[in-house]
Amino acid sequence: MYLFSMASLSEEVLLVVKKVRQRKQDGTLYLMAERIAWGPEGKDRFTVSHLYADIRCQKISPDGKAKIQLQLILHTGESTTFHFSNESSALKDRDAAKELLQQLLPKFKKKANKELEEKNRMLQEDPVLFQLYKDLVVSQVISADEFWANRLGDMNNSDPTPYNNKQDVGISGAFLADIRPQTDGCNGLRYNLTADIIESIFRTYPAVKQKYGENVPHNLTEKEFWTRFFQSHYFHRDRINTGTQDIFSECAKQDEKGLKSMVVQGVKNPLVDLLSLEDKTLDEGYGVSTTTPSTSNANRTVKESSNAAIIKRFNHHSAMVLAAGSRKGQAAQMGTRGILTSSSLLLNPFFSLAIEYEDLQRENRLKTVALNLKKSDRYAHGPVPLQSQHYTTSQDIINSVNHIRHEMVNYKPNLTQVLSSTAASSAITALSPGGVLMMTGTQQAINQMIPTEVQGELKHLYAAAGELLRHFWSCFPVNSPFLEEKVMKMKTNLERFQMTKLCPFQEKIQRQYLSTNLTGHLEEMLQTAYSKFHVWQTRRMLRKT
Amino acid sequence: FSAEDEINLLVIVVDVNPIWWGQQAQREPELTLSKCLDAVMVLGNSHMAMTRTNKLAVIASHCQDSHFLYPNKNWRGGDNGGEDASSSGDGKYELLSVANNLIAEEIRNVMTKKVEGRQTFLLSSLIMLSNWHGVSYRYLLMLPFLFSVGQEIKSRILVVKAAEDCARQYMNFMNVIFAAQKQNILIDACVLDSDSGLLQQACDITGGLYLKIPQKIALAQYLLWVFLPDSEQRSQLVLPPPAHVDYRAACFCHRNLIEIGYVCSVCLSIFCNFSPICTTCETAFKIQLPQMVKPKKKKLKQST
Repeated sequence: MYLFSMASLSEEVLLVVKKVRQRKQDGTLYLMAERIAWGPEGKDRFTVSHLYADIRCQKISPDGKAKIQLQLILHTGESTTFHFSNESSALKDRDAAKELLQQLLPKFKKKANKELEEKNRMLQEDPVLFQLYKDLVVSQVISADEFWANRLGDMNNSDPTPYNNKQDVGISGAFLADIRPQTDGCNGLRYNLTADIIESIFRTYPAVKQKYGENVPHNLTEKEFWTRFFQSHYFHRDRINTGTQDIFSECAKQDEKGLKSMVVQGVKNPLVDLLSLEDKTLDEGYGVSTTTPSTSNANRTVKESSNAAIIKRFNHHSAMVLAAGSRKGQAAQMGTRGILTSSSLLLNPFFSLAIEYEDLQRENRLKTVALNLKKSDRYAHGPVPLQSQHYTTSQDIINSVNHIRHEMVNYKPNLTQVLSSTAASSAITALSPGGVLMMTGTQQAINQMIPTEVQGELKHLYAAAGELLRHFWSCFPVNSPFLEEKVMKMKTNLERFQMTKLCPFQEKIQRQYLSTNLTGHLEEMLQTAYSKFHVWQTRRMLRKT
Repeated sequence: FSAEDEINLLVIVVDVNPIWWGQQAQREPELTLSKCLDAVMVLGNSHMAMTRTNKLAVIASHCQDSHFLYPNKNWRGGDNGGEDASSSGDGKYELLSVANNLIAEEIRNVMTKKVEGRQTFLLSSLIMLSNWHGVSYRYLLMLPFLFSVGQEIKSRILVVKAAEDCARQYMNFMNVIFAAQKQNILIDACVLDSDSGLLQQACDITGGLYLKIPQKIALAQYLLWVFLPDSEQRSQLVLPPPAHVDYRAACFCHRNLIEIGYVCSVCLSIFCNFSPICTTCETAFKIQLPQMVKPKKKKLKQST
């Protein structure tokens, strides 16, 4: 907060509210053009002053509460609360202040820094990155700029994110049906029109829009126009054209013309043959009667003509909806009214997908190079190293074979003398827990001896050290002053990391888990980096002298 | 489907390499081939005695080939066992005495028949463990058809190994290991003398137990303690933990076991040192060498 003399106010004051308490002190609230301020009673300076740009949002106390309050929350997280204490008009005052703020705040809202948002998003989405950030930047091992240096690189070059592109909202085919009139009790109907429905009607039926433009607001009010619209036969199912009193009868005529022209134009899509569709009759009851319906009005029965009229209306409505949807963007590409013209067909990838079948075409094999193995017996040998062969003379072999033959020629199993008890008990000892053969088990359990939190910490250390080392090693070869500076900075960063993170961790595990050496490899990596730095530094000194 | 209906088959493959055993008989007479076979027989009998539906097969693996000791062509099986068996007179379960007699008879035949000259007298003692794997595997594949339809057979192989490995059968061996793994057939190994890398891998991949026994004379005890329980029972027992298996590859040029090496991207052969041309497939490779820094020429001051 800063002190501001009221006498030197050059800003316009929009609202003054007396009897507003802040921090249990009576005072007056001032809403000005660019800031909101509060001064204690009797003093002539402001003790609280906030620019609208700094305010993130406002909050009000709920209606039932005795204390009527307004709270301002700043971007920094701080908040200020004002208590409206005028017995008669506290609620009115508070609401007046709130309304004014509601109008003013959006104007000054700081456009959230896009980069900041992106960074926050990245940190939230990737917990590993977040941990790395905490380990390195928050504990001030490296600066935030260095941390983000490599990561935000593509952000400025790429196109704005796809979710900025807005898609046009289409028209629901049932928008007219959705209006759903309700009876209002005395033989009338209530139609609920929303702005969306009105827009749909205008987009689908440009004739209606034209009429609207002509008649409203000169001749009719909006309400009257829509009332007439719903009353006219134009809207209803049976469009029997009554007298020309109806302003919409022209629309009906226009629609007829439009429909005729659409039929004449036809659909120029070679994959669709609309003309071959017709009602086929199998027998009585399985379709339309045998006489083909004539188009002249005289021969039609009343029912037939009303059916035909409804069908015509449905078709027209659907065609208008589709036309309205495709009118906006794609008219240029696809020809009028979304119909594929023959010239655009060949370019359309979907067309080629529809008429071509991969497996029916001639196979285009990629030219390959045959594998040419000169010494393929190497594979058969396998990873068994040639062992030292101990030499046996042929005489030895003959002797052994004869001996065995001699032994086995009279072999009789002697199953009662297979095992002596001493041999058995020594074997059992070797096989019991703690015996000779059971010892290898304990060596494998290092990940069971160290608790998971320590393992987790070790993982974080590795991630942080890896990041720092990556920055360090990427500086080599050092061939610019920027890299020189960076490599020296990274070395100090590494040393700082070792001191602040690695050594305490080592001490901790030494206190608790004596024998295991968990950080040996990390130290080795750091040592390698230090020695490389040392070598580079001495070389640099030599070059200079 | 009770456990009684399930057939557990144990196939014991015994390495009866005569050269090794002959030498062994002279080195350490406490464990001779006879004693070894006795121990194997004890294990076989115990296995069959555990459950009525347990089955046994014993294969002797000789220098160049292997033989079924049990069941063999003399085994008529079923009810005829009683007639053929010379009764042992000790009230033994007939199936066991039949089996023992058959095994004994067959091994006598195997070990005493004249061995082909050119095959046996090799100068090195690297006699391979012959086709034991091929035979036993084929046997195992036939099994579902030997027994009635609907019976599940769980099988495992126990290899009792005496002599050293031979590297020549490596590819076949690995194929058999993977096939066994797919068929859920355990391969166990009881090694008497020198460690076998191939068997270690086999046990590791199929989930079996590898054990090199410290005392040969107590072979029977080790067999009963470690290799008699089947895989389900083993989970309830405290048995020797699996050994660390060396899966390092050997380089193609020297056959050294290496941890870091170079692999040709065309033929996948492994080398310990970089060479610009792969010797197996003759593909040439280019590697970017670090750029040489040209030394700056110093201007020489000319003296006038």
